[in-house]
Amino acid sequence: MMYNFYVERDSVLHSLDPRVKLAGSASAVIILLLFNSPEVLIPLFFLTILLVYTLGKITPREQYRVLKPLFPILIITIVVWAFVYDPWYRGALIGVAYGLRLLTFGLIAFSLLMTTTQRELILGFIKLKMPYEYGLTMTIALRYIPTLYMLALNIMDAQKARGWEMEKGNILVRMRKMSAVLVPLLIASIKTAHELSIALESRAFGARKERTFLYTIEMKGRDYAALLMTGVILGIALYMRYGLGFGHIKLY
Amino acid sequence: MIEVKGLWHIYEGGKEALRGIDFDMGNEIVALVGPNGSGKTTLAKHLNGLLKPTKGEVIVDGLNTKEHSVAELSRIVGYVFQNPEHMFFAESVFGEVAFGPRNLGLSGEEVEERVRWALEKVNLEGYENRTPYSLSGGEKQRLAIACVLSMKPKYLVLDEPTTGLDEKSAESVRDIIRSLHREGHGILLITHEMDLVLELARRVVLLHGGKKIFDGPVDEFFSLELRDYGLDRPELLRISFSIGTGFVRTVEEFVGRLAR
Ligand SMILES: Nc1ncnc2c1ncn2[C@@H]1O[C@H](COP(=O)(O)OP(=O)(O)OP(=O)(O)O)[C@@H](O)[C@H]1O
Ligand SMILES: [Mg+2]
Repeated sequence: MMYNFYVERDSVLHSLDPRVKLAGSASAVIILLLFNSPEVLIPLFFLTILLVYTLGKITPREQYRVLKPLFPILIITIVVWAFVYDPWYRGALIGVAYGLRLLTFGLIAFSLLMTTTQRELILGFIKLKMPYEYGLTMTIALRYIPTLYMLALNIMDAQKARGWEMEKGNILVRMRKMSAVLVPLLIASIKTAHELSIALESRAFGARKERTFLYTIEMKGRDYAALLMTGVILGIALYMRYGLGFGHIKLY
Repeated sequence: MIEVKGLWHIYEGGKEALRGIDFDMGNEIVALVGPNGSGKTTLAKHLNGLLKPTKGEVIVDGLNTKEHSVAELSRIVGYVFQNPEHMFFAESVFGEVAFGPRNLGLSGEEVEERVRWALEKVNLEGYENRTPYSLSGGEKQRLAIACVLSMKPKYLVLDEPTTGLDEKSAESVRDIIRSLHREGHGILLITHEMDLVLELARRVVLLHGGKKIFDGPVDEFFSLELRDYGLDRPELLRISFSIGTGFVRTVEEFVGRLAR
């Protein structure tokens, strides 16, 4: 069962400072937003897979596993673009590119989470002068997605054992039926949140404004090198897009 | 009759949770025991079709679970989940118990009759208008049993029904189990509490690493080297065995032997 995205590996990405990784992720997102032509976006997707594999040692199989829930969006994007664009095959190609761009965003976010521990991530945020509570809130939210998912499956099983069938009926009936799952799920999540807040407070969370750390992070030579490289790549991408007008198509 | 034949279950991701289980049960109380992760819940979820066999088959009163939906099978095999709160969503106890019979498509009258009957079985008459979440732990557990009972299943799976209950509540759950058994229900009791096994079950099935290690009478079960499987004998039996009075099920029986 997956309770945390982090996977222990000995890789370049794992060993980099979280601030550098945050900067890298932000640059990657900017680069993806710069271009809109399928001829650039599709290769960028595969390049990202390759980079996450070589730099982060996250195998394509593992990447596939975390991206799988996003596949329906990819398919919807392709279908919608094929419908609204003329000729349709060009539309489908654009749909593929836009869908893959979305997957690439997902891949970037997940590879950050898979190569960075929660502790490092929070430290990174704080060193970037973000309030401690924000970083903690965000990581807690991420940490609980798989837990809530397992809980939802368990509740659905309990209701199925009472003859509950989601598949039957029209959309209105189905929505009403969902309350048999949503109500227990909501109550269980509120309870969990409440317990968590007690656990945090009983460990004196928020007792002093500036918190101290047992472990801390420091930028080393390789971190600066990686940051410089990120900057250069971003610069090149900006130049290609605005200096050379590369990778941007007019859709209408 | 529930028949499990050569059952394998492999979860997505490759975990072999069950590795070739053969198991039959009728109108008896069977205790299903084993350490954490041994596959008890996985096995139980096959009996009402929540999980389908990776290999092998499960036949419930002649129905192959592969060919029938959970909703159909839930009329025959009731499953009370470990945490009762995971199924409560209605505003009243009445609505909660009525949910199952309504899903079976019964008429309003029949539903009402069944709710009354089920609440009486678990001693919760007069609670109809309470909110499920406002009940005590023991009452919640009994309500959970009523919710499943109202579908009139022939077999009942109870996943840790007395865990976390005080002695009085646990005793009332035990009473319910005994009375259901007397009325001809087959009961599969998943538990880690050896006292409960000793008191209720005639037959015990021990799982370990997805395999059935033992299946037989309760006295034979307690003469196994249970520590090898992360289990232990109840205090009563430890005393009784060490002073040589042999296997007993209750304190009364033990005292009776001593007096002799
Ligand atoms: N949904 C799932 N996906 C993958 N593996 C699972 C899943 N559910 C259970 N398992 C694994 O299958 C094995 C058997 O689990 P199961 O829940 O049947 O054990 P159990 O005997 O009921 O344990 P417990 O006493 O803790 O309730 C465990 O190793 C568990 O991690
Ligand atoms: Mg279990």
